[in-house]
Amino acid sequence: MIRCIALVAFFIVSDAIAQVPKAVDIRKSLVRITATSQEQDYKVPWNPGSTTVGVGAGFVIDNNRILTNAHVVSNARFIVVEKEDDPERYPALVQFVGHDCDLAVLRVLDKGFFQNTRSLGFGGIPAIESPVTVYGYPIGGDRLSVTRGIISRIDFQTYTHSAIDSHLAVQIDAAINPGNSGGPVMQDGKVVGVAFQGYSGDVAQNVGYMIPTPVIRRFLKDISGGHYDGYVDLSITYFKLLNPAERHALGLPDNEQGVMVSSVSSEGSSQGILQQGDVLLTIDDHPIASDGFVQLDGERVEMPEIVERKFKDDTVKFGIWRDKTKQTVEIRLKGNWPYLIQANHYDSPPRFVLFGGLVFQPLSKNFIDAYQIEDLRLRYYYDYFVTDEIYKTHPEVVVLSNILPDPVNAYLSDLRFQVVDSVNDKKIRTLEDVADAFAQKSDYYVIHFVGSVRPAVLERSAVEQARDRILGNYNVHKEQYVERGLTH
Amino acid sequence: MVRVNSTNQAYDFLRPWSKEAPFVRRGLGVVIDNGRILVTAELVANSNYIELERADSGEKSVATVQVIDYEANLATLSSTDPKFLAGMQPVQTTTHVKTGDDLSVLQLESNGTPVSTRALVTSVEVGKYALEDSGYLMFRISCPLQFRENSFTLPIVKDNKLAAFLMRYDSRSQTVDAIASPVIEHFLTEAQHQPYKGFPRAGLAFSPTRDPQLRKYLKLQDSDGGVYVNQVDRNGPAAKAGVKEGDVLVAIGDKQVDPDGNYLHPVYGKLSITHLTTTEAYCGQQVTMTVIRDGMRKQLSVELFRRSSEDYVVEPYTIGKPPRYYILGGLVFQELTRQYLREWGANWLKDAPQRLVYYDRFQSDLFPEKRKIVFLTQILPTQDTVGYEQLNNLVVEKVNGRKILNLDDFAAAVKNPTDGFDKIEFEEDPHEIYLDAKQVDEDTAQLQKVYSLPALQRL
Repeated sequence: MIRCIALVAFFIVSDAIAQVPKAVDIRKSLVRITATSQEQDYKVPWNPGSTTVGVGAGFVIDNNRILTNAHVVSNARFIVVEKEDDPERYPALVQFVGHDCDLAVLRVLDKGFFQNTRSLGFGGIPAIESPVTVYGYPIGGDRLSVTRGIISRIDFQTYTHSAIDSHLAVQIDAAINPGNSGGPVMQDGKVVGVAFQGYSGDVAQNVGYMIPTPVIRRFLKDISGGHYDGYVDLSITYFKLLNPAERHALGLPDNEQGVMVSSVSSEGSSQGILQQGDVLLTIDDHPIASDGFVQLDGERVEMPEIVERKFKDDTVKFGIWRDKTKQTVEIRLKGNWPYLIQANHYDSPPRFVLFGGLVFQPLSKNFIDAYQIEDLRLRYYYDYFVTDEIYKTHPEVVVLSNILPDPVNAYLSDLRFQVVDSVNDKKIRTLEDVADAFAQKSDYYVIHFVGSVRPAVLERSAVEQARDRILGNYNVHKEQYVERGLTH
Repeated sequence: MVRVNSTNQAYDFLRPWSKEAPFVRRGLGVVIDNGRILVTAELVANSNYIELERADSGEKSVATVQVIDYEANLATLSSTDPKFLAGMQPVQTTTHVKTGDDLSVLQLESNGTPVSTRALVTSVEVGKYALEDSGYLMFRISCPLQFRENSFTLPIVKDNKLAAFLMRYDSRSQTVDAIASPVIEHFLTEAQHQPYKGFPRAGLAFSPTRDPQLRKYLKLQDSDGGVYVNQVDRNGPAAKAGVKEGDVLVAIGDKQVDPDGNYLHPVYGKLSITHLTTTEAYCGQQVTMTVIRDGMRKQLSVELFRRSSEDYVVEPYTIGKPPRYYILGGLVFQELTRQYLREWGANWLKDAPQRLVYYDRFQSDLFPEKRKIVFLTQILPTQDTVGYEQLNNLVVEKVNGRKILNLDDFAAAVKNPTDGFDKIEFEEDPHEIYLDAKQVDEDTAQLQKVYSLPALQRL
């Protein structure tokens, strides 16, 4: 993919040299976005959360749409967009959001907004060392800001918005500050990236990143079906076959080809098709080198890059080496939900159940971050949720996350952060199970936890007596929220 | 009193073929009967060389450890020179110590003059000793101490009888945690028998039953007292006697257990029931546990015994004993011990490999069978390990098809390569790797030479 991209870039650069670059009046395309957001409060999950106002940038693209970063408009309750040279503030809505690629498309309710605007077109990947211009509304003033830089590096990076996804990103030496987010990075009159993340000055100076056009194009193509499906994944891990003894033992020739499948996620695309120990020789007919790289148009790219470009229900074909014979398998691609436990979650309220002053919440990244969890079992369940397939017994790890002190739970404080195993002998697999168990009429509710931990016993009459007292004292206006938000 | 200077050198668990730098600990020992000198175990842990020094004459002698108990933090030494202690008076112990008593902490001036500091017993309770898993009777004492040579551990006396041994001193709060005389007496009594059996454990964990809802649900009367048994060690004394998780333990012998797990001791007052099964009773003795199960009282006779560190899947401590290891073609394999995890420093619970910390902490739930955890700790890169350089802290499941439950299994399994290859299977990624058995053999001498390894294995 990188090679392919470099080629595209080459054409654009040579194209630019051949013609005089068109001057673009960025003022007709740039949009200032002010979003009022409510950040979810995982420690007090019934709270609506505190509101913050953030400013970001966006730009007009075809079909009267505005492209920006997902993080500019995440958890937004109210969004207004402004154009240069127009005093009016136009309310806008999020039409599509991809938290896994930090991109969003906005719709402006007043169609008059797009009069006199000019939609920007996209270029390829700019060449290393070539100059780019960054537009946005970074801190340091209220008006449009322009900075220049050159392309420093093209590499895979973690997209910090979701914290688990990595895609291609381009590093530039123009600083990218809050308020630059979502703004276009331009070269020769075309958008070559969307500014999206950087480092604070304490860590590194003049390091900014932009989302390059292959990622943008993929997002726009994905939403063209009217719904954002998100990235798909092979959901396997593989091991580079660099050791000669290992190659010989597997019966492979010394042709420096093939990687070994080391695990196959049971909820992922490859389940039932690939097995641990299979050697992947080719992907879509491209030979896979023993270090996991694939030769694409003369450039070496990592094997999963082939899958990066695909969409939900697309297929990928592998030539594999199993039981010392060659075989071909085809995999229909999809996402892998267990990974999402380690992703930042946006746009829907925290899920919880409150009963007898005990707060139950599913384990998630937002939860871990909010509580700064150090409990060993919880850390293990979180870190190894995918690798050790903890999701098979606990699709959700339901935690007794907090205790609102009241006479009904006076002796239970030491049980905080235990993982719920069962309620009245019913195994708890999800938060819904907890809500259901407490909805059943019973004289006692006996909560057993994972491991050698004493049970918590709540008497129904005591819980009922305590209910209004707890709701009143702790200003709880909602006793549970169990609905699941959309994953994308 | 004699000065005890011990040169200690612990094994380096990250480089199991080496030892750490030696260091010296200086404390005081107490002469008891039969030429025995009592010290804390910490003072002489991992000792290479122990020197005794008479305070009066400055005369020195070499000592050896007779009996050492790291859990109770006590050891007896004897001089290699039978006449060394001539003319010294053995000290008696006393257990008549109560909260509020005045004791004296003994130190020695550099010229050999004894110095005594008044110390007040502020509480008597079961508390944590040097190892995190062991709790025994402890005197908490308030006293201002000045630093003097040989102050690492100090005797504490009452009416010229040994009442306790200083184990920890906090100079800010001026408080001493001291090994209490009942623990010392238990140790000295047991130390007279060979083999030394140590301190027993009941092999159960309990939690309070103060919660009225829990008591009602368990059908307990207020007069019952009792604690909820939330864990019973497999094959431990309580398990063998039929104690089950969920039982409510209401009495041990004739002592009633209150809802917090205390009983009334005639001298010390309220005390944790742990003291009854670890210190008051000896290994091999029977105690009667009365439990309430499904509302019915049951009496169970529990024969107490000790669970040694070696009996754990992950040894809670490995002191004075070299770590086992096996180096195969540059791959270093060890059995998991807590000492290994401790090499990550004071924050090892957070900083050490989390899966291994989890295995240690929850070992009794996770591993029902008797086994050790054999794992690949690190790689000494050679041409045989190309491509494996990044692998570390991976638990081994099988080698050449054989299930690995300890390092002996490992050593046996690598003797039988399959088609000339050693296949090593891990619990997690990459799940399997191979070595060319013949090549590894050929390269062994070179590996040992390049990395200056004194030995390639210790089993």
